[in-house]
Amino acid sequence: MSSSVYLAVPVMVVLSILQSAFLTRFPMFGMVPQLPLLVALAWGLLHGINEGVMWAFWAGIALDLFSAGPMGASALAFIGGVAVATWVEQALPPNRIFLPPLLAAVATFISLFLYMLLLRVLGRAIPVQSFLDSLPLLMLHGGLILPIIWMAGGLERLVTVRGSRIR
Amino acid sequence: MLAVLLGVALLLSIMDSTGNLDLLLRLIRNPSAPVLEWTSSRADLVDDIVSGPRDLQAAREEISLLQSRIDELERQNEELNEVQGEYQLLLDLFNRARQEPDLRRLTATVIGRDTSLAMRSIIIDKGTDDGVVVGMPVESARGLAGRVFRTTARSSQVVLITDNASLVAARLGSSRATGILKGGGIGGSMTIDWIDLKHQIEIGEVVLTSGLGGKFPQDMVIGRVSEVDRREADLFQRAIVQPAVDFDSLEMVFVITDFQPVDTEIFSSPTGN
Repeated sequence: MSSSVYLAVPVMVVLSILQSAFLTRFPMFGMVPQLPLLVALAWGLLHGINEGVMWAFWAGIALDLFSAGPMGASALAFIGGVAVATWVEQALPPNRIFLPPLLAAVATFISLFLYMLLLRVLGRAIPVQSFLDSLPLLMLHGGLILPIIWMAGGLERLVTVRGSRIR
Repeated sequence: MLAVLLGVALLLSIMDSTGNLDLLLRLIRNPSAPVLEWTSSRADLVDDIVSGPRDLQAAREEISLLQSRIDELERQNEELNEVQGEYQLLLDLFNRARQEPDLRRLTATVIGRDTSLAMRSIIIDKGTDDGVVVGMPVESARGLAGRVFRTTARSSQVVLITDNASLVAARLGSSRATGILKGGGIGGSMTIDWIDLKHQIEIGEVVLTSGLGGKFPQDMVIGRVSEVDRREADLFQRAIVQPAVDFDSLEMVFVITDFQPVDTEIFSSPTGN
């Protein structure tokens, strides 16, 4: 397992606390962005699918600590979303401006779909309307992913000690 | 690695759904309460800065005081409407029993909200150390908010009545119709389905807890009917309910600590097993 897990766990715990106690107080256009998912995706786009799914796993686990949903459900959903998005990225011609928002929308869509599906399988009656009502989040995540990729790059530079990259 | 992580996530979901992770998660969640509390207080500070200049602080405090007074008066008004409905139906003898009992309440601060898009829950700063147990009803100054779902020593998770999985036995104030109030989840409305057509439901009618099922005390204000879906060709009608509580700005709640939820599961099976 990559050593970046030592970075992923504390980062995701801090982001999840911020998500629960802070971000939910300040919705953007009536929606609350899923910051841990975006950071995991940004890390995946910078470092590849293996790193991305590991960060997505810890993002989901940390988020589920502050949710009434079953532990692991967000992890499974985020892994699916990030895995598909990073896989699609490899299949498309590189583009630093237009591709990340598209991939953020893809990852969000798949994560939402998998999460609601898993809840239904586990016996939670989630109506289809809830899924449809969450879809505007695709655009919000698409708009936020670029600054988050830049910040993820900055975070990596911050934790790089004497030229040895954390990976 | 993908397959391993997916497998672990799925296994955790199943184990949590079957209650096998409760002890472990309680140990992990418990230390997070003070951190959440601190972060939430910083959010209050940011909220203050964002919402206006400092010289308006006094005015805002006064507005807040007046708003809470209005909330209290609205609540009293709704309770008076409820009493009037009972007079109309000549249920004077039951009035005493139907009045909100003198319940013991524990004040709690909201320190976190659900991080999932599909769930509607809050985290409060009171837990088992304060006498909170799973199943206790939670209300705000304006009415019923939800029910304690999980507890740690210093915090509790409260599933709101607007959550998809929430079911509350409800009664309408004037028409006396009863039904099960379902939460609508994110973006959805709370509804009462399967109401008999014989009831003439009015828009604006107060919705209260009926006490049926034993999960909530009787006569707690839930909200008002905002829309009625009634077709004469159907057997039943549906009421859409506007909650009395503004769940997005919920900051303080009361946990009703001396209400004992009744376990009615035993009646769901004819053999009692």
